[in-house]
Amino acid sequence: MKKNLLGKSYGDILNMFEYGKLTTEETIKKLSVMRSGKVAQIQQTEPPEECLDEILAELESLIGLDNVKGLVKEIQAYIQIQKKRRVEQLAADALVLHMIFRGNPGTGKTTVARLLGKIFQKMGVLEKGHLIEVERADLVGEYIGHTAVKVRDQIKRSIGGIMFIDEAYSLARGGEKDFGKEAIDALVKGMEDYKDNLVLILAGYKDEMDIFLRSNPGLKSRFPIHIDFPDYNLEELLLIAERMVEKRDYKLSLSSKAKLAKIISKKRIEDGINSGNARLVRNIIERAIRKQAVRLQNGGNFSRENLLLLSNDDITEEDFL
Amino acid sequence: MKKCLIVGKPNVGKTLFMLNFAQYLHLETVNIQLIYYNGVIENKSYKITQAKELLSSVSPFKTMCLQVLEADIPMGKGKQRIQVIDSSGLTDGIHMNVEMRRAMAQTLSAIRESDIILHLFDISSLFYDSPDHGISKVDYQLAEFGQSKNGYVILANKIDLIPNKRPIVELQKLFPDHYVIPISAKTGLGFSEVSTFVRRRL
Repeated sequence: MKKNLLGKSYGDILNMFEYGKLTTEETIKKLSVMRSGKVAQIQQTEPPEECLDEILAELESLIGLDNVKGLVKEIQAYIQIQKKRRVEQLAADALVLHMIFRGNPGTGKTTVARLLGKIFQKMGVLEKGHLIEVERADLVGEYIGHTAVKVRDQIKRSIGGIMFIDEAYSLARGGEKDFGKEAIDALVKGMEDYKDNLVLILAGYKDEMDIFLRSNPGLKSRFPIHIDFPDYNLEELLLIAERMVEKRDYKLSLSSKAKLAKIISKKRIEDGINSGNARLVRNIIERAIRKQAVRLQNGGNFSRENLLLLSNDDITEEDFL
Repeated sequence: MKKCLIVGKPNVGKTLFMLNFAQYLHLETVNIQLIYYNGVIENKSYKITQAKELLSSVSPFKTMCLQVLEADIPMGKGKQRIQVIDSSGLTDGIHMNVEMRRAMAQTLSAIRESDIILHLFDISSLFYDSPDHGISKVDYQLAEFGQSKNGYVILANKIDLIPNKRPIVELQKLFPDHYVIPISAKTGLGFSEVSTFVRRRL
């Protein structure tokens, strides 16, 4: 390999210089020899491994979502191999990672998107890894020609990160004369132009998304990754509740757990897919925390145990508003 | 974006050249990115006069990291944005201070990545007694390296301090294969030639 022309790579020589083993003249000489030898340089910044591990652990700690976890592993492996291939000077493609998330409300679409942003940034796929949440009103203009400008602005904001369009099917709603179609066209152009440094995620309810994708034949094929977010079952929801409570340094008593289970199953029967899944759990827990605060304030017993415990009475079904 | 690197020995006027050149390109406030050896990047914004006071000094080794600023070079009817990178000075031999060596290593790695290299000489300190007084080995090597590079130019700085043109002629004789532009970073003499040179190589 040409890289070993002098037994050292560029970085090694600079390191030796830094440690005071080489003089400036020698360094420049070596570097210029390497340059004339046309050494292909591999530019790679080593990702800070620990941080990536932390984020992956966070993803791993999410309940359910096995397909997402599998996908992330796949992408991670792919990126590593592409890097190795680049070292061996084999063709290495940029990865197109546009995705479609389908699932009912509260199944973790936004949470996963946010984590993916961080993970991709740490893996070196995305530059910044921020998540821009966009909705129909941010993309669709009010008069002719306004839409493309709006879409371009949003894309510009999201370059280097993830653009997350929630309720994406609403773009295709509104009939023939609606500007939503124009927004879709502009998006398609943007996602192709910046495919190296932008990940576009369309999210929405399953049935609506299917209709949306069917209405624009070219669209589906441009999103290589489709992830379904299944509804959580009761056990998973209870696990989520426990994690949530733990994270906030509270505890659920046994009776409150039972009451929580009762409320959730009742809601699921009443409201079906709109019950809110994990969001319902979060709302109940947050309400419980507020109720507990009021209860403790009135009771006046601030022992550590009391501060920790969410009791049976704190878990309530309906909002008091 | 094309990168334009300023190199040279310590105290030849690299930073002042960068700032005055930015002023010549009608920048009133400069946004300077300081890139440290460990990858830390700091963004600072100065008025140009303030920057000159803070960043340049008469004593050597003022600049200890890469300082990057973006400027527009007029091109035809429009303009093109370039990155001007100010580096810390290169000395011969092995410098005893590890921070200086780190800063120099940064300069050396920047040389590789730059499209245009402006190599500054302090012409007022050259040719006192011997033909190559004041020119270091590093200067020669950079010049040699520059031969293989299209965007390499020698800037003979501080011409406002020399009584006659002899040193400029001498310098051109020493580097017959290179393009030498006499400039004064302080007064702005010769900046239009530099601007033309950069423009032709974009």
